[in-house]
Amino acid sequence: MLLFCVSVHAQNDSIIKPINESTKIKQKYGIRLGGDFSKIVRTLIDEDYKGFEIQGDFRLTNKWYLAGEIGAEEKTGSNDFLNATAKGTYFKVGSDYNFYKNWFGMENMIYGGLRIGFSTFSQTLNSFGIYSQNQYWAPQFTSDIAQEFSGLTALWSEIIIGLKAELLNNLYIGVNIQFKGMINQDQPENFENLYVPGFNRTHDSGRFGFGYSYNISYLIPLYKKEK
Amino acid sequence: MKYFKYIKLLITILFIVTTSCEKDDICSEETLTTPRLFIEFYDISNHESLKNIFNFRAQGVGNEDVLTGYNLVTSSQVLLPLKTTEGVTQYMLHNDYGIDDNGTPNDTTDDIITGNEDIITIAYNTEEVYVSRACGFKTVFTNITVTVEDDGDKWILIILPTNDNQSVIDETAIHFKIFH
Repeated sequence: MLLFCVSVHAQNDSIIKPINESTKIKQKYGIRLGGDFSKIVRTLIDEDYKGFEIQGDFRLTNKWYLAGEIGAEEKTGSNDFLNATAKGTYFKVGSDYNFYKNWFGMENMIYGGLRIGFSTFSQTLNSFGIYSQNQYWAPQFTSDIAQEFSGLTALWSEIIIGLKAELLNNLYIGVNIQFKGMINQDQPENFENLYVPGFNRTHDSGRFGFGYSYNISYLIPLYKKEK
Repeated sequence: MKYFKYIKLLITILFIVTTSCEKDDICSEETLTTPRLFIEFYDISNHESLKNIFNFRAQGVGNEDVLTGYNLVTSSQVLLPLKTTEGVTQYMLHNDYGIDDNGTPNDTTDDIITGNEDIITIAYNTEEVYVSRACGFKTVFTNITVTVEDDGDKWILIILPTNDNQSVIDETAIHFKIFH
């Protein structure tokens, strides 16, 4: 993260301000494909997590991009009383809007995005224990018989804030954060979704969720166009 | 420099989001979890009126400890925790508990416990119900019956459920009445 900041910062300083504002600027249009490397890193270091995400966008106009992600995740969560695994795939589609006014020749983005996300997944209750405020008869009942609830779906919306910087020619590195709002989800009988692939952790206090992405992507240029 | 400012803002938001305290993970004391069996003691000669038991003492059969809060108290009610691991829980309910030390306060071997002890047997089915991610599951009890062993000198005369097919879902209303 720090490296990333420094490199972007350095880029700014090394660029000379446009000499003539009226210079015709040709910008690259194309399909940009990439992935979330934070999910790969997490898969390697966190034994309770497996996941990946492929990201893509297509530039429609100077400011607007058609964007989407597909991914798969498996996440096990546990505390003193519960151990459950969520497993499934998801996709998100929407658009990004670039707020950033680039200097001459640069094609970086500070953007806001909107998405609709959809996931199909299963929720497995691996084990649970009974909670009792009164511990006169301890220990309480526990169960290690796994119960799987499959064929669940969830639909949510997202607002994304992020940035992408062109590190090398056509190679971009980026970071974003996602604020999610659950629209609809299937809940398992006598249990609940603690984690939804693509949506991440659910919260007791509401329908909201959070996510982040550190990504690397490559632009396949198709044509050039003045703004 | 404008760019750099945006990045700092983004990092700050990211930091707050990922480290924010997750209160969902703590099971609050106010959450209704596994309920206890709620019994009230009524007067056998006047079924409408509560009747206190003096020097009341409650202890589970097979448990070394006296039930907390019910060691020599004056009470017209008792809340009994039930075992979540099996379908039967037994309690010794002692009316007017006392110890007669036989005139030898330093020698406990010849002490006689006075008062009247009855053993009740509570039989039930258990059902595990999801509460929340922090509290996990609670047990609720269905098809409860409460019976008293006839030791020839019962102080418990009648036991009546407040509903047919009595269940214990929460502790807000009484589940059984004991007449004495």
